[in-house]
Amino acid sequence: MRIPVVVDQLRKIAGRDAVLDRPEDLMLYEYDAGVRKRTPAAVVFPQSTDHVSQIMRLASSAGFPVVARGAGTGLSGGAISPEGGVVLAFARMNRILEVDSENMRAVVQPGVVNQQLSDNVAHLGLYFAPDPSSQKACTIGGNVAENSGGPHTLMYGVTVNHVTGMTMVMPSGEVVRFGGKAAECSGYDLTGFFVGSEGTIGIVTEITVRLLRRPERVATLLGIFETIDDGARTVSAITAAGITPAALEMLDGWTLRAVEAACHAGYPLDAGAVLLIELEGLAEQVEEQAEAVREVCSQQRAREVRRAKDETERALLWKGRKNAFAAMGRLAPSYYSQDGVVPRTRIPAVLQFIEGVAKKYGLRIGNIFHAGDGNLHPLILFDPRDPKQLELVQTAGRDILEYCVSVGGSITGEHGVGLEKRDLMPLLFTDEDLDVMLSLRNAFNAEGVLNPGKLFPTTRMCAETRGPSQNPVLAAEGM
Amino acid sequence: MSGVSSATGIERELRAICGEENVSEEGTFAHHFLPDPGHPIVVAKPGSAEEVAAILQLANAEGLSIIPEGGNTNRCILQPADILLRTSRLTQVEHYDHADLTVGVGAGMTVARLNNMVSADRLLFALDPPFPERATVGGVLATASHGPLRHGYGALRDFCIGIRFVTGDGRRAKGGGRVVKNVAGYDLMKLLIGSYGTLAVITSASFKLFPASRQTRTYLAEFSTAAEALKFRDLMLRLPLSPVCLELVSPGARKLMRPEMASDAWVICVRAAGSDAVLTRYRKELGAAVTRELEGDGESKMWRAIEKFPFASDAESEDGTLADYGQRIKITVPPRDVMSVVDVLNDIERGNIGVAFIGRVGVGHVVAVVRNNGSNPEEAAGVVVDALRKKFSADISVKIDSGANPWPIALADLACMRAVKQALDPKNVLRGRTIF
Repeated sequence: MRIPVVVDQLRKIAGRDAVLDRPEDLMLYEYDAGVRKRTPAAVVFPQSTDHVSQIMRLASSAGFPVVARGAGTGLSGGAISPEGGVVLAFARMNRILEVDSENMRAVVQPGVVNQQLSDNVAHLGLYFAPDPSSQKACTIGGNVAENSGGPHTLMYGVTVNHVTGMTMVMPSGEVVRFGGKAAECSGYDLTGFFVGSEGTIGIVTEITVRLLRRPERVATLLGIFETIDDGARTVSAITAAGITPAALEMLDGWTLRAVEAACHAGYPLDAGAVLLIELEGLAEQVEEQAEAVREVCSQQRAREVRRAKDETERALLWKGRKNAFAAMGRLAPSYYSQDGVVPRTRIPAVLQFIEGVAKKYGLRIGNIFHAGDGNLHPLILFDPRDPKQLELVQTAGRDILEYCVSVGGSITGEHGVGLEKRDLMPLLFTDEDLDVMLSLRNAFNAEGVLNPGKLFPTTRMCAETRGPSQNPVLAAEGM
Repeated sequence: MSGVSSATGIERELRAICGEENVSEEGTFAHHFLPDPGHPIVVAKPGSAEEVAAILQLANAEGLSIIPEGGNTNRCILQPADILLRTSRLTQVEHYDHADLTVGVGAGMTVARLNNMVSADRLLFALDPPFPERATVGGVLATASHGPLRHGYGALRDFCIGIRFVTGDGRRAKGGGRVVKNVAGYDLMKLLIGSYGTLAVITSASFKLFPASRQTRTYLAEFSTAAEALKFRDLMLRLPLSPVCLELVSPGARKLMRPEMASDAWVICVRAAGSDAVLTRYRKELGAAVTRELEGDGESKMWRAIEKFPFASDAESEDGTLADYGQRIKITVPPRDVMSVVDVLNDIERGNIGVAFIGRVGVGHVVAVVRNNGSNPEEAAGVVVDALRKKFSADISVKIDSGANPWPIALADLACMRAVKQALDPKNVLRGRTIF
């Protein structure tokens, strides 16, 4: 089916004003927050599960690939369109369908913005725990697809730990429901399995999430260190002392100076590193832990430990952390961010390694990351107008991820694999591991109609997908 | 089912894979309930994931069926099968990074041994299933087991960070890894946890550990009706407290666990961990409802009894037969609906069927045991399942660990489940013959 025909059909399904196909409109949908781009053939804004179902039926019969998109804040290229693909944008499926405070659940459409859900239930003393730095913009549907994390993952887990049920549209257009408000599911835990499947199995159109009760007390501490090494060692010392902070973030000196210039969060300009440590819970417990954290920091040669006096100071400290990526714009035209994971005891070693990589390639790399769970975000600065630089940056990124895996870590803690890291999957997984994953994908999405070319290494797809040359979708992906 | 002559052939093949001494033919089982107890079954004890894979490949080639077995704490009603794959030799420690609070062990390691190992470093593997001395890591994963600690520490799906397994069609694979945060690839942990051995044989797994509590105390509050007890639960859930356990014990359950202390009261047990100041705060918040406080040995003994429910706490009564106690049914509903579950169970108890139950009522979980006073426990369980089905149109999870079909009411879409089963075990080598 030719694109104009597809566009006509999509308009019949979703409405005349719900489809974009002019080049100047499509340009807005060619990128996410990562470094790759591709212009889709069309963008459609479904308004109901039924719309999504009809679109999937059309896609399956007409043979055009589809990719779901929330707010496009993803960092791994998960929402980038395949060649000739149609983007399903969820901006118009943004209603909170139900808040059930007694059961501490909410039922939401995928286009609901993460922060909006927490704002909406704040008057009940509740909130939604996953808190990606992009939470003011990113959608819960996107969070589900990527199994997103955030600083408070350390205590509360990633998105999958907060989803108990979903309605999903399969590539065939069939609508299925898994789980519900109950915390357990008889039969296979398909809800758990589909969270984080990066839009390669089905498209979620309704999500049942857990809400948590706001803690009685929150203490936010800023540990200031002369050297990055002292800060890094403090991370595992805090855990070893039996303390589980709600969040434990680290910024190196270079990054915090950039952040301070942009946000005026009150970070010390001459420090080697800072740790942002948040403790939550019962007042008595939080006070004891705050004292214990102070002691650990002092033992690890902290210059000073500050505590936010009130909510305003706390918000300011977090503003610095959450806007750090944006602050990089002051230093270079673009940045490339990785999200490898190492066991937290390896943080000092991996930071040294990253410093070595920066020297080797002559790059500037800042470090700001979820230290408590060993989830790194090295920010490699570059100028995308120079293709050589992009290549260099990607090589440096690969070196860092290879190191993470070599010390028992992972290539992604919360951003997902997407396009960006698909060819790094063999670092972690054997052929047989990937084969098992691919057989599960093919059980639902054998034709590759949904988000083709993501998650699986390109070589793997060629070898394992039956007759890619006869498959217009995969052929279009250049595989 | 293979004939006798080919059974001998199978044994020979299995001996070649696992070694002479690790294959035997067993005719009777202390803990299993065979439909035909006289029918012998070949038991194979592989010593590595490679050997597990070889057994599954053999089964696929020869059209044999396999039942994986851990510590058998669920007294499974076995369906006819050719091979019982016992994980008892898969007890290796794959990694133990105490400063990182992670551990990875073989599927055959018992929960008690794992906890002994990590408690030396003041850490906790936060799972307290029945009979931890026999319950294995593979078994608790396959059945998504939990005990009272579920309230405070979450479920296995929250702290299992990696899983290694052999699929029904004989492929050795893994999901996740060894670090606490990791979203690379499909989340195969979620798929295998609670899959009751129908998709793959779990060979090892990695977990997040927790710092062990320095001290705990348990507060008991007694109520004359379940409704009052649940009202107290609601109050608890609105307080800023985060107890490690919050358990309801029915009068019938109390009779089973502590015959000497039987009474008609419904008891809510709240276990708190923390410093003296924290425990004082709990006492203050819980108020006049608290009738007893327990610590030390008395406290441990009580929680052990709840873990073991319905088996009596003092005697090591594991040799008792299932028929003595009836079947254990695990029910999960949205927390608000626990009262409706209690109503259903109470109604049934007024009939000829005895029902006793406990529950992690803060998360909406109830463990019920039914007894049909001497006759078939499966039938009695069927009555409970039917009554629950009638009362709840949706949003109820019911599992019977010992049942031939563990999911009498399935919440997941059956067609999708079949697609997953087909992808990993197309020849239906593992268990599933009676399920799908």
